Amino acid sequence: MKLKLLLASATSALVLQASAQQVKFTEYDLANGLHVILHQDKTAPVVAVSVMYHVGSKDEIPGRTGFAHFFEHLLFEGSDNMKRGDFMKIVSDNGGRNNANTSQDRTFYYETFPSNQLELGLWLESERMLHPKIEEAGVRTQNEVVKEEKRMRVDNQPYGKYIDVISRHLFQGHPYRWQPIGSMADLDAAKLQEFQAFFKKNYVPANAVLSIAGDISIENTKALVEKYFAEVPKGNPVTKAEYVLKPITKEIVDTAYDANIQIPAIMTAYRAPGMRSRDAKALNMLSTLLSGSGSSRLSTKMVDDKKTAIQVSAFNLTMEDYGIYIALALPGNNTPLNNLLADIDAEVLKVQNELISEKEFTKLQNQFENAAVSANSTMIGLAENLADGYTFHAKNTNAINEELKEIKSITREEIRAAARKYLNKESRVVLYYLPKK
Amino acid sequence: MNKLYIIALTGLLVQSVSAQKLDRSKLPKPGPAPAVAFSDPVSFKLPNGITVFVVENHKLPKVTASFIIDAGPRTEGAKAGVLDIMGSMLGEGTATQTKVQFDEAVDQIGANVRVSSSGGSATALTRYFEPAFLLMADALRNPEFPQASFEKLKSQALTGIKSNARNPSAISKRIVPALSYGVSHPMGEFATEKTVTSITLDDVKMAYQNNITPSRGFITFVGDIKPDAAKVLTMKAFGNWKGTQLTLPKLALVSKPSKTEIDVVDMPNAVQSEITVTNLVDLPLSSPDYHAVLLANQILGGGADAKLFRNLREKHGFTYGAYSSTGSGRFQAAFTANAAVRNEKVDSAVVEFLHEIKIMRTEKVSEQLLQSAKNLYNGSFALGLEDPARTAGFARNIVLNNLPKDFYLNYLKKINAVTAEDVLRVSQKYFGLDDTRIIIVGKKDVYLTGLSKLGYQVNLFDTYAVPVNTK
Repeated sequence: MKLKLLLASATSALVLQASAQQVKFTEYDLANGLHVILHQDKTAPVVAVSVMYHVGSKDEIPGRTGFAHFFEHLLFEGSDNMKRGDFMKIVSDNGGRNNANTSQDRTFYYETFPSNQLELGLWLESERMLHPKIEEAGVRTQNEVVKEEKRMRVDNQPYGKYIDVISRHLFQGHPYRWQPIGSMADLDAAKLQEFQAFFKKNYVPANAVLSIAGDISIENTKALVEKYFAEVPKGNPVTKAEYVLKPITKEIVDTAYDANIQIPAIMTAYRAPGMRSRDAKALNMLSTLLSGSGSSRLSTKMVDDKKTAIQVSAFNLTMEDYGIYIALALPGNNTPLNNLLADIDAEVLKVQNELISEKEFTKLQNQFENAAVSANSTMIGLAENLADGYTFHAKNTNAINEELKEIKSITREEIRAAARKYLNKESRVVLYYLPKK
Repeated sequence: MNKLYIIALTGLLVQSVSAQKLDRSKLPKPGPAPAVAFSDPVSFKLPNGITVFVVENHKLPKVTASFIIDAGPRTEGAKAGVLDIMGSMLGEGTATQTKVQFDEAVDQIGANVRVSSSGGSATALTRYFEPAFLLMADALRNPEFPQASFEKLKSQALTGIKSNARNPSAISKRIVPALSYGVSHPMGEFATEKTVTSITLDDVKMAYQNNITPSRGFITFVGDIKPDAAKVLTMKAFGNWKGTQLTLPKLALVSKPSKTEIDVVDMPNAVQSEITVTNLVDLPLSSPDYHAVLLANQILGGGADAKLFRNLREKHGFTYGAYSSTGSGRFQAAFTANAAVRNEKVDSAVVEFLHEIKIMRTEKVSEQLLQSAKNLYNGSFALGLEDPARTAGFARNIVLNNLPKDFYLNYLKKINAVTAEDVLRVSQKYFGLDDTRIIIVGKKDVYLTGLSKLGYQVNLFDTYAVPVNTK
């Protein structure tokens, strides 16, 4: 069996040669442990400077959730050499753009500048890493801002709460059970010293990747990186807590109510494997097969043919330790939610029992190739994808060049096996998501 | 024809002296300003009126084409929603292939093909681009309009309207133009359950005849394709296509309210209210005010470093973000300043919005603020060129807006020449204070009393922009 699988994958890799571009890069560590990745591209006079910290809501503790995301805000509050509020001003004064985002697993800070401002980008990111202002005034303001962000993105948002409900059920015993936005009560209760301690623990050079892409000279950039980042103290080694989840053995059924909706939804969610596994990629392909485009199975059956759903969607949210495989549908023509669930389940059963056709398999490979080619079209996208590889693929920055080949090596048998292994009724969550009267 | 332009980013020009000992208290000096190079796309016109632009870029093995029909604002009236349904119907099968066959053909090559009431797009790996482009053309030229698909899309449109009924941000997007332009203006009208219910398949076919045509069409190719190949392909797909001759509508200017008013739409489920301060503006790209307005808007609410964001978010923590935008173009457009604010702080936030607009209208901005805004525009111009489609957008804008050929060549020169007096003058002209609308969509019980104290007329509307009689 094993041998057969290997043969099958070797064959498909030969037939479908990957055509995405090869991304060249230089990488090395500073003495303090900061990993540096440099990519040169002189097409446009642009440089993206980014730091990916391997800290997300997964690194928080119960009672103090939302810290990593809170830092995404707090680390714009200035430094020993930068007044409160000056960070964004300096960026835009110099023709740049900046932003940051936080997931369960990492926080990503970045600036894009005209290429003559590379040094400024390094100054900004090194100030942030070396001695950011973590003070009462900034904490108070950003506490209000984060509450507004939650009101906008979650509380006021139609269908804004289902990931939260599903995660609580799927990840009991793991920090994935709360969302990066965290609990407002936790943030209110947190003391300044706790924020300072969180910074000291997690934002050390060895837990970060400085990734730079654009119109740069590699040698000159190396010298500048040394100039600005060498003095950042090494700090203590970061140890990651390990969590082992108990298997879910009985289907969990729940109901949630949302005041912002009128059309209910039915959702079903399964615990999926972490992002490094081949199975995660197999499940990505499976979700595209079911709902990724016009001709996908669930869409043609439920939206076009039976017209029982106005929308149906299956997707695999991948995270470092685990993932969430979700299928959901919104009813059309007053179809009962259980009928929608039955239709979704029938399709899942089908991929568990039958291999997908050769034609569908080719289709998936073409769709993933198109997506892979488009993934690296901007400098900031490249910087992030390079940092992703190092952070999440066992320090393999070259994952950016291997991703498509790996996807193309996944066989039809592996897709069927992943469906059998992970999409089991007895270990899933079924959520009835209903309008609140 | 394919001339290369090179502009220095003078707004950013500061010479560098590097390799000193690191003094962290001083910002590093920038290197020499990079030259920004761009060239006109290759362009040609088909006999049936379609204008084609080609931007060659062989970095990635893919090609994107977009087709835009420049029909201008279109009035749908009692059949509001028909254009959207018509656009969706284009994807429901053609004379030679059913929807299932069509979708299958697109997906099989991993392509993205979209069609809508204003055109379409096709993106594919280079080796699959021709079939993807031909599929887009087939959908646009030969739609089948099956009755069953029509019923499905109509039902979906009705459900869609219903599903947004409790979404404050969706209601705000509908209400703001409806109150600004009026509900019978093409920019202000919107689909309701009533208008959608009344739409027939014949209405859809009529909308197709009147709107999907080569007339005033623009096709842009960007990516791994040679101009000659693009020409051959365009001729093959669209060369013999004929259709209705389009002319841009002439729209009467809509006037502003005589006095500033507050228009409130109650949404009891909202935890945040959408605040929009808005007035209509008439600002063609050829206007001598254009570049000054860009900078004035940038200073007021263009981003995270602008006055509104600094005040409403960073100083007061009322909102996740507050921004302004000023529309421009051949038709009347809107100036809007907007934020989603928690219900409790709506009246305080309105005061801050008006305060910042008033300052823009009464005080000259500092040279430093003005220079920052210029720097941002200089930088953005360079950063924008990372997208190879940008130059095609330049070329299309020049044709559409009847601009001088050197409009984008001189763009930064004009930006850099704007003075603080210019910014003050255009702020007074385009950012209304005494004759504007403050539109609030949210839970009114929380803030109505506070708002009433601001001294403006307060009007209540339902979610369809119909006045609510409070007596």
